[in-house]
Amino acid sequence: MAGKARLRFLLLCAAAVAAVVLAVGVGSVSVPPGEILAALASRFTGAPGAADETSFALIWELRLPRVLLAFCTGAALSVGGTVMQSVLQNPLASPFGLGVSAGAGLGAALVIVSGAAGVLGMLLLPTVSFVFGLVTVLLVIGIASRIDRRLSNVTIVLTGLVVSLFCSAVMDLLATLSPTYAQRIGLWQMGSFSMRSWGGVYVLFPALVLCTLLFLRFSREMDILSFGEEQAETMGVDTRRCKGLLLSIVAVLTGLSVAFAGIIGFVDLIAPHVVRRLFGSAHRRVIPAAAVFGGTFMVLCDLAARTLTPPREIPIGAITALLGAPFFLYLFFAGRKR
Amino acid sequence: MLEVEHLSCGYGSGDIVKDVSFSVRRGECLGILGPNGCGKTTLLRGIAGVLPVRGRVAVCGREIRTMRPKERGQAVAVLAQMSGSYFSYTVYETVLLGRYAHGRRGLFSAPDREDRLAAEESLERVGLLQLRDRLITELSGGQLQRVFLARTFAQAPRVILLDEPTNHLDLKYQVELVGALREWAADGERCVVGVLHDLNLAFSFADTALLMEDGKVQSFGPAKETDAELLSRVYGMDVGGYMRAALARWEKGEKAHAAVQKPV
Repeated sequence: MAGKARLRFLLLCAAAVAAVVLAVGVGSVSVPPGEILAALASRFTGAPGAADETSFALIWELRLPRVLLAFCTGAALSVGGTVMQSVLQNPLASPFGLGVSAGAGLGAALVIVSGAAGVLGMLLLPTVSFVFGLVTVLLVIGIASRIDRRLSNVTIVLTGLVVSLFCSAVMDLLATLSPTYAQRIGLWQMGSFSMRSWGGVYVLFPALVLCTLLFLRFSREMDILSFGEEQAETMGVDTRRCKGLLLSIVAVLTGLSVAFAGIIGFVDLIAPHVVRRLFGSAHRRVIPAAAVFGGTFMVLCDLAARTLTPPREIPIGAITALLGAPFFLYLFFAGRKR
Repeated sequence: MLEVEHLSCGYGSGDIVKDVSFSVRRGECLGILGPNGCGKTTLLRGIAGVLPVRGRVAVCGREIRTMRPKERGQAVAVLAQMSGSYFSYTVYETVLLGRYAHGRRGLFSAPDREDRLAAEESLERVGLLQLRDRLITELSGGQLQRVFLARTFAQAPRVILLDEPTNHLDLKYQVELVGALREWAADGERCVVGVLHDLNLAFSFADTALLMEDGKVQSFGPAKETDAELLSRVYGMDVGGYMRAALARWEKGEKAHAAVQKPV
């Protein structure tokens, strides 16, 4: 099992690198892989590379930050989904179920409608939506703990759903009442990596690495928790502390990714299942694999989003489901027949 | 070894378990008896430290509520009614999780040699060593419950609490499970406290019996001396009559069977 899993993980990592190079190379102007590597080499060594000025700018200023942001977002959402499903022992759980995305979306919509986005621009929108996302999670946990002192998973899931739907409704209301901004809000609700610079990567990448390490630290606890909370408690796990800590980290990580890329569904729900099929359920393998798989998947989805119908871009949230749903079904039916 | 004194607990409104006291000696198996809803499971949860309680629960003289979670895991383990898992761990991984309570404090504490040995020993004890690399999602109910039994053994607690672990199991597995637990208890500084619904099984398991009614103790003593009349009153039916009828039916069946078997 372990040897096979290691080989699979190496293959997955190779696929990730290939996907990144492909996504950087393909677009309205294509750049061959050799030139991409030359551009990267010249950037890091400082030596003038073989790459010419324009393709260097194209790679470094436009494509690479976008591809890396897509990778980080996909990885963050997938890891978050894995943790949520284990902690809540619910294969249908996802970070969005905590209300993070709906709350963050509401925050973003408020910024857009107020017109402040144009003035303070890039910085204000992610910050406000991140804060709104976290406040919504606190609200969900707060309400759930009022209803049910033991804070059972069903209560959390239900409360998250109700609060999410409420926030979405307010968001729709805002979009309807201010038609000028309706399109922008709509775009944000489907997620996009267009118009992104290095800023997002600089924030999301370190957060992703740090959170993934923290999750790995708790991989045994998550293994035990996925058998049920009360059992975990009698096996020596400090369930309240673990659950609170893990859910908070998921909230922060998801909040950050939503703040930069908007609401992108499906990958957080699907990636953990795909990865468990390939690597078993032990979290010390599932967590890193989910990160690499989710990142790769998102890079490919974004590539499809910007190249399938040029010059128009398809919203990334639509692509993840369009590509993801058949892939997921294939994987599961192929597995059944075995 | 296990001391329970004036224990009361419940869920929010009012106590379900009321002022229960008893003790279990080393090597002993205690059966908790009583009809549905009399508080048996709640009592177990109180002892396990999952529910807040009033009163005192101590293992080897140390009170449960003063222990840290991992220390508690080393003192008491629970084997509950089998519940399948959606998540596909291998048999060995599942059993190894039982060692969690013995893990050292540290950032990335992985299972060590001792843990792996304990897991393998436990698997051997329940006769599942050859299935160690199978996924638990592919096992039968009887096999899965043996995996959880092995995990409980690997946890190496002082006390094992049983919460109807034989439900949904075939007769053979029920008998084997109870046998394995009695063997485990006899093997050192340990004891088992069990809630088993089947009275037959309960009496073949228990050295001592605690009979509960409406959250209170009705009788506590050697299982063999449990008052049949009291048992019938608490269960609201003629328990002895039912058992005798079952036995008679069985003996008649055996005779009829023997008659059929006679050579023509």
